[in-house]
Amino acid sequence: MATIKKVAVAEKWFHANGWSPFSFQREVWDAYLAGESGLIHAATGTGKTLAAWWAPLLEYLQEASPPVRGELNNRTRTARAARKSSLPLRVLWITPLRALAGDTTGALLQPVVNLDLPWSVETRTGDTSSAERSRQTRRLPSTLVTTPESLSLFLSRSDASSQFADLRLVVVDEWHELLGTKRGVQTQLALSRLRAMCPNLRTWGLSATIGNLDDALSALLGKAQSRQKSRIVHGVEPKQIIVDSLIPPVIERFPWAGHLGTQMVPQVVEAIEEGQTSIVFTNTRSQTEIWYQAILAYRPDWAGTIALHHGSLDRKAREWVEEGLRTATLRCVVATSSLDLGVDFSPVDRVLQIGSPKGIARLTQRAGRSGHRPGAPSRVTCVPTHTLELIEVAAARDGLQSGSIESRYPVTRPLDVLAQHIVTIAVGEGFIPSELLCEVRDTDAYSDLPDDEWQWVLGFISNGGNALRGYPEYSKVVEDASGRWKVEDKSIAFRHRMSIGTIVSDAHIVVQYLRGARLGSVEESFVARLTHGDRFVFAGKPLEFIRVRDMVAWVRRAPNATGAIPRWMGSRLPLSGELAAALRDRLGEAGRGEYRDPEMKAIEPILEVQRKWSHIPGPNEFLIERVQSREGHHLFFFPFEGRLVHEGLAALLAYRLSRIQPITFSMSANDYGFELLSADDAPLEEALLHGLIDPAGLAEDIPASLNATEMARRQFREIARVAGLVFPGFPRSGKTARQLQASSGLFFDVFQRYDAGNMLLTQAHREVLERQLERTRLGTTLHRISAAKVVITNPKRTPPLAFPLLIDRTRDRLSSEKLADRIRRMQRVLERAAG
Amino acid sequence: MISRTELTATVRGEVLTLLPERALFWKMQGTLFIADPHWGKAATFRAGGIPVPSGTTDESIARLDALLDRTSADRIIFLGDLLHAREGRSNEMFASLALWREARSKVDLILVRGNHDKSAGDPPAQLRIQCEDAPYSMMPFVLDHHPRPHRDGYVLAGHVHPGIRIYGAGRQRERLPCFYFGKDVAILPAFGDFTGLADVGLAEGDRVYAIADSTVLQIV
Repeated sequence: MATIKKVAVAEKWFHANGWSPFSFQREVWDAYLAGESGLIHAATGTGKTLAAWWAPLLEYLQEASPPVRGELNNRTRTARAARKSSLPLRVLWITPLRALAGDTTGALLQPVVNLDLPWSVETRTGDTSSAERSRQTRRLPSTLVTTPESLSLFLSRSDASSQFADLRLVVVDEWHELLGTKRGVQTQLALSRLRAMCPNLRTWGLSATIGNLDDALSALLGKAQSRQKSRIVHGVEPKQIIVDSLIPPVIERFPWAGHLGTQMVPQVVEAIEEGQTSIVFTNTRSQTEIWYQAILAYRPDWAGTIALHHGSLDRKAREWVEEGLRTATLRCVVATSSLDLGVDFSPVDRVLQIGSPKGIARLTQRAGRSGHRPGAPSRVTCVPTHTLELIEVAAARDGLQSGSIESRYPVTRPLDVLAQHIVTIAVGEGFIPSELLCEVRDTDAYSDLPDDEWQWVLGFISNGGNALRGYPEYSKVVEDASGRWKVEDKSIAFRHRMSIGTIVSDAHIVVQYLRGARLGSVEESFVARLTHGDRFVFAGKPLEFIRVRDMVAWVRRAPNATGAIPRWMGSRLPLSGELAAALRDRLGEAGRGEYRDPEMKAIEPILEVQRKWSHIPGPNEFLIERVQSREGHHLFFFPFEGRLVHEGLAALLAYRLSRIQPITFSMSANDYGFELLSADDAPLEEALLHGLIDPAGLAEDIPASLNATEMARRQFREIARVAGLVFPGFPRSGKTARQLQASSGLFFDVFQRYDAGNMLLTQAHREVLERQLERTRLGTTLHRISAAKVVITNPKRTPPLAFPLLIDRTRDRLSSEKLADRIRRMQRVLERAAG
Repeated sequence: MISRTELTATVRGEVLTLLPERALFWKMQGTLFIADPHWGKAATFRAGGIPVPSGTTDESIARLDALLDRTSADRIIFLGDLLHAREGRSNEMFASLALWREARSKVDLILVRGNHDKSAGDPPAQLRIQCEDAPYSMMPFVLDHHPRPHRDGYVLAGHVHPGIRIYGAGRQRERLPCFYFGKDVAILPAFGDFTGLADVGLAEGDRVYAIADSTVLQIV
C-alpha cells in the first residue's frame, strides 16, 4: 500500500461519516494510482461511487501535497464560488440518466466541501440552464457530471482538445445500462476520442452485476487500453432478496378473467400502508400514469403524499419527487425504470412491482431499492396484472435462487452511430480520415469494421455514399485544403448539434399549462391525434388539450381524469432467456399436476382449464392450438422463449406456410408464444410435413421472411434518426426545418428504390436479425421445438394461454397474395358481413 | 387507350377517369389533373445536408410520359405544390424537365399555385408552364390547391396527400393512397414519390377509390 500516502485522509473522512472503507474501495484506489483502468461491480448502494471518486481525490492530495487543509468541516459552498480558483477539468463522470446527474453531483461534492479542496463539481445535461452552459463554455469545472449525449456535444466544439487537456479519469456510471444499447456505442466512440486526446487517461466503469462482466470491461476500455493493466473489482455481495406476490383473492377459472388490470389496487394500497415509504414500479410510463390515477381514486385522501416519476416528466417535477423520497415526506411513488438507478433513497422500505419483472437482474435491482437497514433483507412484492404472470414470479424466484443472471450484449458496428459520431467530430475540430479510423477501430464495437463499410460511411456524410450517381449537390462534410474533413455549413452544424443522441423516439412535444408550468413531454404522434378540447391524463393530472404551437402542447387543467393516456414507444420489454427457461420448468411441473408455492397454487384453476380445453405442454412438447372464431382461423404456437424470439418465429412460420398457398397472416407475439391469424384455414399439417419447424434452410428463410414483413422498415425508424436523416423538431426551427421533414418510412422506401446499396438498409436488416430476433436464440429455439413432440389441439374456445395473444392489438403482417387481390377479398368479406 | 383496370367517377355530369399513376383524367376536355408533385423535394433535403438519392424526379417524369401515352391528353393541370422549396430548385432537375418539355412541346401545362409554390417560386419560363393563382375556374369545376368548397363549382384539389385505411377479416389492414370525392370537393392523391399519406375523414355519401399498386379500387 505504499502508493497511497494520503489514504488516511480518506479513512478519516469515512469515519467522520460513520463508515470505514471497504477493501474493494481500497483496491480501486491502489489500482487507479498505479495507472490501471477497470470495472467495479456491486449491488446498488454499496459504495461504488465513493470507490471511484476517492481515487482521483487521493491522487490530487498526493500530487499537490496541500498544506494540511485536510481538516474536515461542515461548510457548505456553492459550486459557483469555488470555480474561480478551481482546478481545470480532471474527471468526467458519465451517467446514463440526466435525472441522476444532480444526485451524483451532490454526492461527489460532499468530500470536496468537507476537505475544502479547490475542486468544482458541476453537471452538464439537457437540463442545464443556458447561463450555466455559457459559463462552462468559458471554463469547465474540475469534475463534470454529464450524459453520453452531452459528452458528444462537447466533442462537437472546436476547442475540445484544449478543454480536455488535463483530463485524468473518465468514470462511466451504471455502465450495464449503456452496454447493450447504441448509447453504449456512442460512449465507446467518445471514450476512444478522449483517449486519443489524453493518452494517459484512465477509464473506470461502475456496473451492477451482469452475466458477462468481461465483455463489459473490454467494451469500456477499447483495444489499446485493454492491453494495459486493468481489472474487474468485485464489490459487496447483494443482500438476501425476498420475492413474494400479492395473490388475487379470487381467481376466476375463465381465461378472459385472467386480465386483472388495476383490480389489485386495494391490496396494493394495503401493502403501501405497511411501509413508511414505498416505490411502486411499473414497466411502462403509461402504466405509471394508470396506477397513479387508480391509487388516488381509491385513496383520495392521499393526494399530496403520493407522486409519480418517469423519464418524460419535467425535471422540476422529478427533482421534487426524488427529494420527497429522500426526506420521507412522500408515502408512495409510482415509477418506471427512471428510479431503478442512482443514489439511495434510504427511507424506502417497501417495493412493489406491477406486472412481470421480465428479468432476474431487473428484479434484483428493484428489490435493492428497499431495506437499507443493516442486516435487513431486500424485499420486492410482485403484483400481477394478468394471473399468468404469477408463473413468471415463481420462475423469477427460481432464477434468483439458482444464481442465474442475464447478460447484456454490446451492440456491434452500427453504422448510424458511426455516421453521427463522424459528423460530430467534423462539426468540431475536424478529422484526418486515417487518424479517425484508428480511433474508431480501437473501440470494441468497431474493432472489425471492414474497409468498405468505413469508406461507405465517409461517402454517406460527404457525397451520399454512392459515388457513381445519386446525390447531386449534396455535401455535408467537406475536405479542406489541408486534408481535414469538416462541416462548414453553419445551419447543418446547428441541426446536427440539436439532434445528437441515440435515444430514439418521435419528436417530443413539451406539455405546458396555458399560463404556467411545464409538465413534461409526450411523443408528437400522441399529440397529433388530439383536437381542441380533448381530455387526456399526463403527469398524474387530468388535462384538456388546447393547441400545439412551436413544439409546445398547450393545455389547461380538466375537472376530472378521463380520456387517453399517452403511450411511449419502445416500452415493451421482452422476457429474458433465463426467465423463459425457468418458466418452462414451472409449466412442466404444472403439467405433472405439481403446484408448489403460493403463486402456482393460485393459478392452478386456470392451468387446469388449459389442461381441460387443450393441453399443458411439458418440457419436451411443442403445443400448437387451432381455434376458429368470427375473426378467422387462428393458430397459436407456444415455444415460451420471449417476445423477440417469437416475433421472428412468427414471421418465419408464416413465410413457410405462405409458400404452400397464397395467404395473408396477421401476427401477434408475446412472451409465451405467437399467433398466426388468417381469413382462410392455413395448411398446418401439410406444412409440418414439409419442415415448418425444421432448422434446415434457416439461413435463407429468415432473411426472406423478414423482407416479407415490415420489421426492417420499422427498425429503420431508429437508424434514420441516429444517422441524421430524420431529426426531431425543435423550437424556432422555422420553415426550413419543416421542409426537411419526412418520415423514416419514406426514407426507407426511397432508399430501397433508388439506392438499394445503402448500407443503412443492410444495417436495418442486420439489427432485426441480431438484436430484435436474437438470432442465436431463434436457432436454438427451433432446434429445441423441432426435437420436441408436436401436440396439436383443436379447442372450441380460446384456452387461457392463447387468450392474451388473441386480444393483442399490435400486429405484423405477412402475405403471399397480390395487394389488389387482398383488398378485393377484404371488401368481399366486409360486404358479406354488412349484408 | 384506357384499360379495364381504370375506374371512372361521375361528378356534376362529367366523367372523370381515376388512373393508378395517381392522376385524374377528364376525357371530354383531354385534361389530366395532377396534385402535389413536390418536385425538388429530394434536392431540398440534399441541400440541407440530408442524403436523399436522386431519381424521384426521373420516376415522376416517366409516370407523366406513361400517362400522356395512355390518355393522349393535350393538357395537364397541376393542382399546386409543383415545386417543394426554393432550396430544391436544382439545375439538374430543371435540365431533365426541360428535356421532357421539349419532347412534349404540344401539351399545355397549367399550374394552380399551392402553398409550397408561393415560397418555392414559379417554374422557369423555359418549361412553359402557365401559372395561375387558386382558385381557377374550369366549369363545372373549380381548381384549387386547398380542399375548400367553392360556390362556383365542384372543387378538385390536392394538398392533403390523402390515404385510406382498409380493414378486413383476420385482423388485416392496409393503408393506401386514394382519391376522395366528397359533396363539394374532390382530393387527389399526391403525385410525388417522396411524400407521405394523411388519413381522410369520411362523411355519408363520400366516395373513396384506393390505389393498390397498378389497380384502382372503389372502397366506399
